[in-house]
Amino acid sequence: PFQLGFQDATSPIMEELLHFHDHTLMIVFLISSLVLYIISSMLTTKLTHTSAMDAQEVETIWTILPAIILILIALPSLRILYMMDEINNPSLTVKTMGHQWYWSYEYTDYEDLTFDSYMIPTSDLKPGELRLLEVDNRVVLPMEMTIRMLISSEDVLHSWAVPSLGLKTDAIPGRLNQTTLVASRPGLYYGQCSEICGSNHSFMPIVLELVPLKHFEEWSAS
Amino acid sequence: MSKAVGWGAPRDAGWALPRPVEAGRSHEGAALEKAVGRAWRAPALWSLGSSAFSVTGLADPGRAAAAASREMFFRAAWSLVLRRGGLGSRGIHSPGDTAHSKGKMPPYTNYHAQRSYPMPDEPFCTELNAEQRALKEKEKGSWTELSHAEKVALYRLQFHETFAEMNRRSNEWKTVMGCVFFFCGFTALLIWWQRVYVFPKKPITLTAEWKAQQLQRILDMKGNPVQGLASQWDYEKKQWKK
Repeated sequence: PFQLGFQDATSPIMEELLHFHDHTLMIVFLISSLVLYIISSMLTTKLTHTSAMDAQEVETIWTILPAIILILIALPSLRILYMMDEINNPSLTVKTMGHQWYWSYEYTDYEDLTFDSYMIPTSDLKPGELRLLEVDNRVVLPMEMTIRMLISSEDVLHSWAVPSLGLKTDAIPGRLNQTTLVASRPGLYYGQCSEICGSNHSFMPIVLELVPLKHFEEWSAS
Repeated sequence: MSKAVGWGAPRDAGWALPRPVEAGRSHEGAALEKAVGRAWRAPALWSLGSSAFSVTGLADPGRAAAAASREMFFRAAWSLVLRRGGLGSRGIHSPGDTAHSKGKMPPYTNYHAQRSYPMPDEPFCTELNAEQRALKEKEKGSWTELSHAEKVALYRLQFHETFAEMNRRSNEWKTVMGCVFFFCGFTALLIWWQRVYVFPKKPITLTAEWKAQQLQRILDMKGNPVQGLASQWDYEKKQWKK
């Protein structure tokens, strides 16, 4: 029906991001409610004092306190940022190239496997499939294994994003971007192109099919 | 008259007048008398609960002097600020009240009263006729000898409106709300027309049947099983968890 908040985390990094988001949002709510309270108390008083005021103490407070709050936000943020870049020895490398308006995937570790992934148009959907999110060839990957994704583009800027894994990497023509992928659960994970790339930008989704290693090996052998 | 001093300046005994002779005031009837009677206490509210400033307190010259000196200090400080700041932005024609337009206001006065500075130093009427001047002289004496009507007259000389008059409510909100609702309704009509004539057909995936199949598919693949959708479904009993 409807959703308030992020999708469930499928990778450890995404779990960290969820907690960080809760932490930061709590700080934001606190500040907003404080400001709202101050505004309402300013507006509902009959007292007036409109001459110039000297307020050194409170000025100091509201200079130091935001600096502290920002540090409290920045420290977890940097921690997660560096966690994303840890060396983790991926066992598989998959390359994905963005085109207008589809993704193509290359598995070239042990064999040459390349395919394109187009969105299924609404008129061709099977009953119960998600509109604008299903593709003809899904990206099959083994679960619980570190996978290196190399992302680039053949023409214009795209962005390869899978929210439940906490991934979003720009596909830049002429540049190779790398991100690591670890999924803790099997299943289908959907994402959409996240950088405006033309008329069908909203119509080039990404679907990851995370399966146990045996199934992956069977699939890639076929 | 140009001295920036409040009530405290002693003046010679004068002669009582019910109201100063001034254009634009004649249409305010006897209701003002009552308002003024109440409003004598309003300055007390403004000076942060200092009760000594009300007329009833003025019956005691000692307390009046103390209150007046307190008041004077406050207003002297204020007048310093205001002389620097300037009040020209408000304009003369609407001292503290924009919704009500007076008839004929004397132009180019020094009387600038605002809601945030209700009692300016300059008096409202600066050109006094003989009666009023006599009353001002009487004011310099003991205030206990002034009749109620004389005190009202002096107030009217000094100030344009009482606090009750200044704070009176208006019917503006009805006009505003009426216009708001009118435009909301008009917008609703526009949107309705748009729905009928402009919007394309809805995609097939928004029918109830499709949505049910979609939901079943998501539950089958256990989408968001930790805290999201599939976590709310009881797979054994095949129903939503309660």
